[in-house]
Order: sequence, then C-alpha cells, then structure tokens
Amino acid sequence: MMIQPSNIKEAARSLLASKQRTILALIGIVIGIGSVIAMVSVGRIVQEESLRQFKEMGTDILTIEKEFGGSPGMPGAQAKSGLKLETIRDIPGGCPAISSVAPSVRGSGNVSFNGKKLDRAGPMGVTASFLEINKLSVRQGRFLSDLDEQSRFCVIGSRVAAELQKNGSSQLLGSKIRIGDNLFTVIGVTNEVPEGGMRRFEPNETIYIHITTGLRVFANAEISSITARVAPGTTNNSARDQVMSYFASLGKGPQVKITSPEEIIAQMEKQMQMFTLLLGAIGSISLIVGGVGVMNVMLVSVTERRREIGIRRALGAKRGDIRGQFLIESVILSLIGGAFGIVFGIGASWLIAHFAKWQFVLSISALLLGVGVSNAVGIFFGYYPARQASLLDPIVALKSD
Amino acid sequence: MLTLRDIRKSYRIGPTEVDVLKGVSLDIQQGELVSIMGASGCGKSTLMNIIGLLDRPTSGSFMLDGAEVSYTDDDALSEIRNQRIGFVFQQYFLLSRLTALENVALPLIYRGNTGSDSHDRCMEFLKRVGMDDRAHHRPNELSGGQQQRVAIARALVGNPSLILADEPTGALDTQVGGEIMELFKSLNAEAGITVVIITHDPGIARQCKRVAVMKDGVIVP
Repeated sequence: MMIQPSNIKEAARSLLASKQRTILALIGIVIGIGSVIAMVSVGRIVQEESLRQFKEMGTDILTIEKEFGGSPGMPGAQAKSGLKLETIRDIPGGCPAISSVAPSVRGSGNVSFNGKKLDRAGPMGVTASFLEINKLSVRQGRFLSDLDEQSRFCVIGSRVAAELQKNGSSQLLGSKIRIGDNLFTVIGVTNEVPEGGMRRFEPNETIYIHITTGLRVFANAEISSITARVAPGTTNNSARDQVMSYFASLGKGPQVKITSPEEIIAQMEKQMQMFTLLLGAIGSISLIVGGVGVMNVMLVSVTERRREIGIRRALGAKRGDIRGQFLIESVILSLIGGAFGIVFGIGASWLIAHFAKWQFVLSISALLLGVGVSNAVGIFFGYYPARQASLLDPIVALKSD
Repeated sequence: MLTLRDIRKSYRIGPTEVDVLKGVSLDIQQGELVSIMGASGCGKSTLMNIIGLLDRPTSGSFMLDGAEVSYTDDDALSEIRNQRIGFVFQQYFLLSRLTALENVALPLIYRGNTGSDSHDRCMEFLKRVGMDDRAHHRPNELSGGQQQRVAIARALVGNPSLILADEPTGALDTQVGGEIMELFKSLNAEAGITVVIITHDPGIARQCKRVAVMKDGVIVP
C-alpha cells in the first residue's frame, strides 16, 4: 500500500461526495474526541490550579491536627484532651526545625452587625503569627497583635467588609460586630484572596479575633488545628519528627497528626489521576460509539462502491491498494472529526475554566491524545470495512451495480 | 500470445452446477485483431473475464505470453492486468468522481507512477483518441462515444500488449460505434496491439481479421 497525495485527495473527494453521511458519522467522533479532550484538559487545569494555589501557600508548612478517635469529646473533659495554647506556643522552642506556629480555634455563634445577621462570616480565634503563615495581608488598619490578648478587637475578611458596607457601615474601622453575646471592634481588613485555596478556611469570609479571646467566648472552644512554618534549611520530614517527639515528650498529652504539603500534593495528584482516568473512560465510550459510526459509514461506502472497486481491480489495483484506499478514507474521516473534537473539547474546557475562575492551561498532551486517538479510531474501525473491500472478487465487484 | 486449452468454467447455483464454458481451446497470436462472437449466454463474457484474469477457470490450461497463469498469487494477477492488459467495457466504467485525465491516470497510479511524466503520458493518449480538449471534464459531461474514447485511452496508457473489449460499441449508435471500431483497427494496425473484441453483432465481427464464433460454451470450428 502506498500513501500518496493523490490517495488523500481522492479520499477527501469521496467523503465530500456523500456529505450528509460524512457529517453524521463525524458527530459521533467529534463528541467522542471532544469529551476525551475536555476531560483530560479540565483534569489538567484543575490539577495545575490546585498545585498553584498550594504553592502560593508555600511548601514549608506543616498542618498539625489533634488526632480524633480514641477519646470521644466529652463535654468538660476537652481542656484535658485538647491542645493547650501554652504547649503550642512552646513548639518553636522545643523544635528548632519549626520557626513559627499559628494555632487557631473555630468559633460558633451568630454574627450580626447593626442588628442584621451576617450569614457568610465565620469567627475564628488566631494569633499574630497567623497572618504571615497563611500568606494573608492587611488592606486597612492592622492585624491582631500579641498584645491583644483577651481584647475585643477583630479583623475582618474582604467579603465581610463588603457586607458591612452594604449594611450601612461608612467607616469600617471602629464598626462593631456582635459575635454571640460579645461586641467586637473592627481594627483591620485583610486583602481579597483568590478563592478555593488550600487553606482550611475561607479567608475572605472570616472574622479574626485573638485566640485567647476565642477560647474564652466560643462555646466548646478547642484548638483543633495548628499551622506551623518549617525553619529555612530544614526538611519537612525532620521538622515532623521533631514535632512528633515534642508531643510524645509531653507524656499523656494528646495525639497529633501531622500533614506535610508533599503528602497533600501526592494525594491530590493521585486523586486527579483517578479523576482523569475516569473521565477518559467516559470519553472512550463515546469514542467507541463514534468509531462504530465510522465503521458503519465505511461499510455502506464499500457496498455502494463495489463497482468502483471492481474497476480499480481490473485496472491493476492490488488488494492492498484497495484496503489502503478505504483505510485512508476512514482515517481522514476520523481525523476531521478529531480536529473538530479538539476544538470542541478545548473550547469546552476553556469555558469550564472560565466559569470556575481557574487559570486555563492548554494541555499539549490532550491535543496529541486527540490526534492519536482519532487516528487509532480510524484505523481500528476502518480496517474491517477496508478488508471487506479488498477481499471482493473483482468479477463480482464489477458485475454489481 | 494467448493459448487456452480445454478451459472449463462452471458455477454452482444452488444445488445445480451450471457449465458455462465446456472446454474452450483458442490460440491468439501477437498482433491479431480477433472478435469472439456469439449470442448472449453463450459464455463469451465469461471467456473474456478468464482471459482478462478477472475470473479463474474451473479447469484447463491458460498460457499467457508462454507462461502458465498461476491463480494463487492475487497480487501477481493484479500486476499482469495492470502491465499487459487494457480493458474496454460496454458501460465504459469510468469513475464518475474523477476527470477524464484522472481516469486515464489510474493504471499508472497502480504502478506507483504519479509524477508529471504520468500527466504528459495521459494527455498524449487522450490526444490519440481525440479527447485532449476534454481532459478536465467529468464523465457525466461527456457523450457515450466520448466516454468510450476516454476509456480506450485508459486501456492504452499502460502500454499493454492486449486490449480486451467487451461489447465496446454496444451502448453506442452505429456511427459512433463505427468510429470506435476504426480506432481499434488503427491501434491494431499501427501499434501492433493485440485486440480481442467480444460482440454479438456480426457487423462488428466482420470488421475483424479473424472471428471465433461461440455457441453453448464452446468455440464452433
């Protein structure tokens, strides 16, 4: 079999001769390739996006959490089983590999301003180090300092600030917010942070108060999570070991679980891989449907062109020439479908990224996959019809009409 | 150049065997202009298909240019059709999507020759049959006689030693058919190409140097 420009030209012409059928067959391929591309591409975008957000936080961060299970949180017994603020503050002293820690306590209770309830605002008790470790910055006023212990000051996220302004606060600083039964005075506003980061809270919708205040005013307050920054020049693993032995040295103290960014990234990548595989599988099913469409078109085409096959055989075409002719046709058909599918898939993933506010990444591997897969579909589903054509007896083919 | 000995061909149609050729022996020399004449159903088309290597006999011996034809290698048969035989059919059998020029080029394409010399060669043969001014027309833009001329150019372009024509004038009126016959005669006379014409028309057969009459699957002596 020889592939020459004239073969390709002829294949294109015969596909054009039956436009309707060609277009109908293409729809299956376009959807099939398109979904594979869209899925692989969206998977890639999500992956890049989460990694990007993670990297924004830095990879020298350890998350220390109280290990749950074993000791069910009985009311009144928490103070014993929970992490003590003093213990936490001593971590950098006990572990040279940790440069700073930021414990936090989640608050509950209704938040209101001027008598209006704020729905999208969660109070949280933090320390001064919290701002820097979580890569947040202050837009207006100042953040909480270590001198604000037991104070009634608060710093608000940008969306909370917007909410206050909507509810008639002309001067953000100095506004009073009610959390449960306590009034807090706003002393600062943090800058807007891109959504969906790796932080385990929503920075824009948080009201920060000092952790000591939080521990006192929040109902059932308990320090559940500590973010720790690893000292420069130390590995996360050695830092983790130090923290573990630090907590072990406390004796009957609480068990902790330490998560490093590498673990989270690895876990995330594994998840994404599964996701991509799953989506790819769904795409493959539509591809098979599309491929069967191509096979159908080619079988009809072979049946309709039996006489042509006979003529070509009489003029000296070998079986391989005939097989090649029909194979080229089905591959071209699939490649055209693949080209539209790629455009469709990339477009779809762009739209998804646009609406999800993710950064769009053009995945070259998805493009190559699209071309490769459509080629494979053409060859795989075109082979049987092409073989049928090549095995036709010349005289039978010539006599048919 | 052609030696057929006791060629038999039978088809199985359902439970019955139908003998179409019942022992045909025929010799055709290089440069002959032969017609094989007979009523429809006498087996002349089957004979032509066997001579043209489009069909294989049930039994018998077929020597082409001194060599026994082997039916085991399909590619070799394709090659012989491509190199040594030119077909002309009653229904012209041009490919409707291709222009006259592209139709003529087909035998060369199957030789792997698609260069510019191929284009020149096709034009040369189109000129020879008087169709060079219609080279870029599609078959449906040509009259029956014109289509048959293109088909003859296609049969000639591969420089075959044998032209097999199956009722070449059957679909044409007398005058155009006469012109086509003149073309065959001049090809035979000038280029020395062996021409075998299958026909049921005694008027056509009479124009050939030799007539083999077929009846009921055998050649009547």
